[in-house]
Amino acid sequence: MRREDVRPLLEQAARTLPEPDLADAAWSGALAIRRRRRRSTTIAGIVVLLVLAIAALVAGLSRNSAEVVPPEIAPTLPPGYIRPAGQISGMDFWVAPPSGSERFLDRLATPLGDSLRLPSETVELTTMPLQEIAAVLLSETDGIYTPLLLGADSRWVHATVELDPIATGSPLGTGAVSPNGRLVAFPQPRGVVVIDATTAVTRRFSLPADDLRSVSWLPDSARVLVNGPTAAYRVLAGLCCRGEETVVPVQPASDVYAATAPYRLDGGPGRVELRRYSLNGGWTLESTLGLPASSWVGQTSSLGATAARLFVADRLPQVQTTASRPQLIAAISTEQSSPSRLLVLGETPAATPPPTPGPALPDAVRTPGCCFVLGWYDPHTPLFQVAGWVLAWDLETGQVRRVTELEVNTVALGPGIAG
Amino acid sequence: MRETVDPEFAAYVDAREARWLRSAYLVYGEPERAEEQLLHAFTRLALRWGKEDDPDAFVQRLLYQPALSRRSRPKPFQDDDEDEHPVKVALAGLSPAQRAVLVLLYFDELTEFEVADVLGVSHAAVHGHAQTALSALRSGLGHGDWRNAEDRR
Repeated sequence: MRREDVRPLLEQAARTLPEPDLADAAWSGALAIRRRRRRSTTIAGIVVLLVLAIAALVAGLSRNSAEVVPPEIAPTLPPGYIRPAGQISGMDFWVAPPSGSERFLDRLATPLGDSLRLPSETVELTTMPLQEIAAVLLSETDGIYTPLLLGADSRWVHATVELDPIATGSPLGTGAVSPNGRLVAFPQPRGVVVIDATTAVTRRFSLPADDLRSVSWLPDSARVLVNGPTAAYRVLAGLCCRGEETVVPVQPASDVYAATAPYRLDGGPGRVELRRYSLNGGWTLESTLGLPASSWVGQTSSLGATAARLFVADRLPQVQTTASRPQLIAAISTEQSSPSRLLVLGETPAATPPPTPGPALPDAVRTPGCCFVLGWYDPHTPLFQVAGWVLAWDLETGQVRRVTELEVNTVALGPGIAG
Repeated sequence: MRETVDPEFAAYVDAREARWLRSAYLVYGEPERAEEQLLHAFTRLALRWGKEDDPDAFVQRLLYQPALSRRSRPKPFQDDDEDEHPVKVALAGLSPAQRAVLVLLYFDELTEFEVADVLGVSHAAVHGHAQTALSALRSGLGHGDWRNAEDRR
């Protein structure tokens, strides 16, 4: 048998087979396999995800139950945050930039501009009323004062009213502008003058006391406390509350600048009291603080749940002073969620060592009375005056920024300062 | 992959299925097993249709390599009681590898190298299986050993 005989023999052996038709069956079989594969892939993916989720859950639970682990990412701090310098009476404190460095601080832009001086030109308030007062100055001529009002839109106007000096001189105090920015009050001998900046209406309220020195508005912007050394009154100056007596005597405080609303900060070393004013009950104690305050300067200024006032401390181990006593601004929060804070206004250290052995005298000191709280820019930024400057202290970051350089002696700020 | 059969695939299968079914039958010795293996090979080809450079080699590998597996060793021509064809009897006496080599060489007319590639064995093994299978077929069909000078004519 030859090799070429093999093929016919094999064909003969296989010829009984029927003709197949496998194309459709093969194609549909492939489709079924593909569908099955896709289904399997989907199910496998779901199973893997489920297993991963369960594993993560178990890992998380076991970690939680084992111990308290600090977070991998530290809580974020606001931009520009400065760490506090330490603690005084359990409160974080920051140290303000030294005297003389104000010009080089970052600026907080306000309608006051770079420097605040008496405007050369103003228009009458009656011709151009203001919606919101940013600042109030007094122009003096022959012992008579004229109010100059700066609006939130940076316009200066003057009111056509003549104000007399009071026992301390200028009748402008830090609490002059009402919380809504529409009214401004000036203590006067035997009375108080209130100007409505939105209508240019001036009202004069007569009071029995000769010596009245400070004013402080209640949060409703309708009532104002007028304080003197021997007498104090609550005057209904706004257009509300029909039937209520216009003038109500209140208990005078020994410190005429202490009687403020809604909050009042005063007291001695180790027992500083935060009190809240109410129409019916007067001042009621809110909390007691262990601050080392030996005396207070200026009025308490409040916005929202925070009250701020400056005090002079005798001696603090946390603050080195050689020629003066440290002054501190206390920003006291009435809410548990937001902490109270302190800002120390200290001395400017000597730039060069002393020629003789001994402690170096500072280059500059801030004398008591130079500095006090002026008002608020926003609920976390109190504004305060240091010699010749208005500065802003950001409670959230601890930063101190310059607001304006003062070329006037006294200024009162209103809510329009935030623009 | 389209839902209905690709016309080019159908034409490809139609042109080859009859010949490869017979080849597979001669290798496996069972018509059902041969058709099952061929359908399996075409199904796999359908999954990769358009992606294979040499579809013939792809199908032939899938068609014949299982015959060499120890786990699926075929039992050839055992149900053909009514038709005791001498070629089938002779093929039944060969090993699966010998049968596959014999069919691919003399029925599908591949070269020894192509057979080695399809079955996944060496060329020497194919050559050896071919010699042995041809000799056994000759003996089975009563033609004596091919190595006799007389028979080699």
